[in-house]
Amino acid sequence: MAAGAVNTDHRIGDLLRQLAPQVLGTLVRRHGQFDACEDAVQEALLAAALQWPAEGAPDRPRSWLLTVAGRSLVDGWRADSARRRRETVVALDPADHPPAAGPSGADRHDTDRDDTLVLLFLCCHPALSPPSQLALTLRAVGGLTTAQIAAAFLVPETTIAKRISRAKQRIRSAGARFELPTEPERTERLGVVLHVLYLVFNEGYTTSSGPALQRTDLTAEAIRLTRLLDRLLPGEAEVAGLLALMLLTDARRSARTDADGRIVPLAEQRRQQWDAAAIAEGRAILTRTLGTGPVGPYQLQAAIAALHDEAPTAEETDWPQILALYDVLSHAAPGPLVTLSRAVALAMVHGPTAGLALLGTLDTDDRMDHTHRLEAVRAHLLERAGDIAAARDSYLRAAKMTANLPEQRYLALRAAKLHHPAPPPHADPVG
Amino acid sequence: MKYMIMMFGGLGDTMQTRTPEWITGMQQLMMKLDTELKEAGEVVAGHGLVDPSQAKTVRFHNGAPVATDGPFAEVKESLAGYWIVEASEERAIEIASQVVAYTEYPMEVRRIMHGDEAPQL
Repeated sequence: MAAGAVNTDHRIGDLLRQLAPQVLGTLVRRHGQFDACEDAVQEALLAAALQWPAEGAPDRPRSWLLTVAGRSLVDGWRADSARRRRETVVALDPADHPPAAGPSGADRHDTDRDDTLVLLFLCCHPALSPPSQLALTLRAVGGLTTAQIAAAFLVPETTIAKRISRAKQRIRSAGARFELPTEPERTERLGVVLHVLYLVFNEGYTTSSGPALQRTDLTAEAIRLTRLLDRLLPGEAEVAGLLALMLLTDARRSARTDADGRIVPLAEQRRQQWDAAAIAEGRAILTRTLGTGPVGPYQLQAAIAALHDEAPTAEETDWPQILALYDVLSHAAPGPLVTLSRAVALAMVHGPTAGLALLGTLDTDDRMDHTHRLEAVRAHLLERAGDIAAARDSYLRAAKMTANLPEQRYLALRAAKLHHPAPPPHADPVG
Repeated sequence: MKYMIMMFGGLGDTMQTRTPEWITGMQQLMMKLDTELKEAGEVVAGHGLVDPSQAKTVRFHNGAPVATDGPFAEVKESLAGYWIVEASEERAIEIASQVVAYTEYPMEVRRIMHGDEAPQL
């Protein structure tokens, strides 16, 4: 039955992605050489994805993957043993590390836990560019195939394959070890890990080009990995904050576009379409987290998202509270995009003129040169202030600047709605 | 055979003379057509380009390449977007005709040269 087969495929996919970082961690502990092990695990995952749906998953899927990956690793060594013998530098030398824990019991569980964490830190190594960190994290920790990652980012598979192999070379030449960094480096590196997960989420959430399903996969994967990280580091308030932020934001996903794929702004969204379960979970995480540690940017953004999600209608939004949170955020993590959001909150509390005055401070900010967002927000505030001609010009300027097609369509339409010319008798449509 | 179907023009200029209803209609037509062509597998590639006002033109000036703001052509002659379709010339013209019937503005259909592709699997 087709539906049953799809379910089985899903179960196998979930199982493979859960086991991927564990198997990779075990292999690297045993043999060192993160890059070769990562290739071997990828081959084992592909073999399993081909074989298991037809023959059923093996009784001990983890051992199966370890065996196949181990064999592939040895084959790879044989194939280029001559080259490998010439290499004197071997990053991640296994001699430096304790042997892997036994195959059963709590030890193994702890080792798997640590391995996944170490892998996350390794893939988000500061020597790598953000696109490489993203790709490597999704493959080595997320257990996605190169083809899946390429589809999600809408780039050719060879591009992702090159990005991943270059990333592994850099990790090797940076001399990274397969172990958790110690303080204070650990805190700094955790910041990079969180940022990478945040970027994966945003990639899926804000870029609405391409087939929607694939993009949704990215947000789902970002949430899955952040959930995993939250389990591995239960005391870290910002990890919980990021998870809450993702859940509270993703809850609005299906209401953000209409049936034709056009953008629906927050104030006009059908709130009954929001995912109540995701909102409840995000709020619960936030409630148990706030006050347990220093309140960082992710928790603050999650708290703002929660206030939007809690309002039964746009009019009932608690803007004074949101403005207060943006005030804190603009001290904790100042930046032009925070100022932009704060200007909206300011306008909602103290009127559009106050918001527009704050926006004016961004006019000379070089960081805003290549984004349409400043003009888009200005257009909305000018429209609220009743300055229709200026609002229309701002919408048009924003539409011309954006590189996002649905946003361009939305902004162009807003501009046109502020200007209702009778169709000219002699049509010259585009020119 | 592959054909490139090209659209021209700039956003701001379209907006000056058009009603929101006309713009909505055009957006719907383009999205519908794009979805249909992709689902049918006829589109090999296709992209819209950011408004020509954001373009830079690199010219050879006083013995060196110099980048200046703005498009090379007049805005209404500037490329706005394209599809590359795997189709007969007749079919490519038919696709372009569906857009032109609504916008009343010309589109260009050009065959893609071959001989330089990587071997197809």
